[in-house]
Amino acid sequence: MLLKISNLNAGYGKVPVLHECTLEVNEHETVTVIGPNGAGKSTLLKTITGLVKAMSGQIVFQDEEIATLSTDQIIRKGIAFVPEGGRPFPNMTVLDNLRMGAFTKRENLKNGVIDELFALFPVLKKRSNQYARTLSGGERQMLAIARGLISRPKLLMLDEPSLGLAPKLVDEIYEKIRMLKESGLTVLLIEQNTSYALELADRGYVLENGHIIMTGACAELSSSDHIRKAYLGI
Amino acid sequence: MLDMTVQSIITGLMMGVIYALITLGISIVFGVLNVVNFAHGDFVMFSMYLSYMIGTALVWDAVQTPLITIPVLFIFGFIVYYLIIDRTLRQMYVVQLAVTVGLQIFMRSMALIIWKAQPRALQYSIIQGNIQIGPYTILTSRLVAAIISLIFIAGIAWFLNKSWAGSAMRAASDDLDMASLVGVNYRRTYALTFAIGSALTAVAGGLLMSFQQTDPVGGIRFGFLSWCVLALAGLGSIPGLIISGMIVGVAETVTITFFDPRSRLLVIYGIFILVLWFKPRGLFGRK
Repeated sequence: MLLKISNLNAGYGKVPVLHECTLEVNEHETVTVIGPNGAGKSTLLKTITGLVKAMSGQIVFQDEEIATLSTDQIIRKGIAFVPEGGRPFPNMTVLDNLRMGAFTKRENLKNGVIDELFALFPVLKKRSNQYARTLSGGERQMLAIARGLISRPKLLMLDEPSLGLAPKLVDEIYEKIRMLKESGLTVLLIEQNTSYALELADRGYVLENGHIIMTGACAELSSSDHIRKAYLGI
Repeated sequence: MLDMTVQSIITGLMMGVIYALITLGISIVFGVLNVVNFAHGDFVMFSMYLSYMIGTALVWDAVQTPLITIPVLFIFGFIVYYLIIDRTLRQMYVVQLAVTVGLQIFMRSMALIIWKAQPRALQYSIIQGNIQIGPYTILTSRLVAAIISLIFIAGIAWFLNKSWAGSAMRAASDDLDMASLVGVNYRRTYALTFAIGSALTAVAGGLLMSFQQTDPVGGIRFGFLSWCVLALAGLGSIPGLIISGMIVGVAETVTITFFDPRSRLLVIYGIFILVLWFKPRGLFGRK
């Protein structure tokens, strides 16, 4: 098991957002966490990466407790996080953004990983000397994913990669994520766009009001009455 | 009249480059840590005294003293960061203001105790004379100071753009959480930034001592100067910083030449207020 979260409580200040959350991600698996706005999905990823401190519970990555580590130490264990909107460094060029992604794995800059990523996202090569602030929403998202991948993480965590993008771009981004999944990468995907997420992932968790209320294979979830009514609108 | 104007502009341009060097320190600290170090001018004053002491003890030229004062101020910056600044980062802005203003008062008082209220200057300089171009005089010591300042500014620009530590500083300045998410240890980056900002005052202090005297309350003037240049330049453009330093330098020397030398702070502060009023992001600031 790559990531195991058990009985996690976390939140801002003294108010917990996540209550007793338990979640597992196995190697080479794509897991999605779906749920409505404000359910605590982003807080979950922020807690895994240490941006939000866990109040209680365990976060174990590769048999190692990481809940007490600082963000940069957690990232060094082999986790990459693409936050909402991608958040590339706006005043750095595309190439410098990618270089920053390799901050913990500098040898990857010489191993041709950048060329692989340029092959996956050709638009980034075209834009490589442009400032990230001049990119479109889709390009920012692709840059952020590429920046996350350049360290060759063991776990890629994506926070709403479809947010604010035109449907055609969402298709394109999901196509890329599918390619990554098929190459064997472990992915933890958080999404409000439930139909995309359930179609892509192997297993899913449903997070509502900070509680994980359901879990199962994506096919099962897609056929459950609650999901069909509340999320898929069928 | 024209000769006097050109002469004061030449002098002002050279001073301006040194002001840009002083401001670069406060600028990278503000840009990366989002903390305005109100004691920055007093770091310059402190560096000038150190240069004076080293210059006197070792019979060195002021321009040579940064060889010793740079490492001293670099370590001093680290200590100040971990002792004071680091504890105020997650606090309200007024707390940061209070501690750096407190540091300013502390350093000024320490300077008064150690060196008394007497201005000090180095008697001896290997850089003598001046260069005569037509009717205009360029003091060699100021020219050397301006050139050394430019070299250090260029060095910092190179460091920010090409080195890993410099890239981490730029990333932390852009988006602190995201910098942590690519593996940057922000405290180490902050400490390094503050130490570099501090070390830059050591360079400026040595250069200033080659043609100026220092006194314990002189820090406030460099503080004002650096805020004014920073406000004029905005964040993110090093050429903009040099030009802004030159604007302030020229404004200062023209004031000294044509009005009253005592009104130079008034003019500098006037520019500061006008910039904040009309161009709050500065002339060259991004966004």
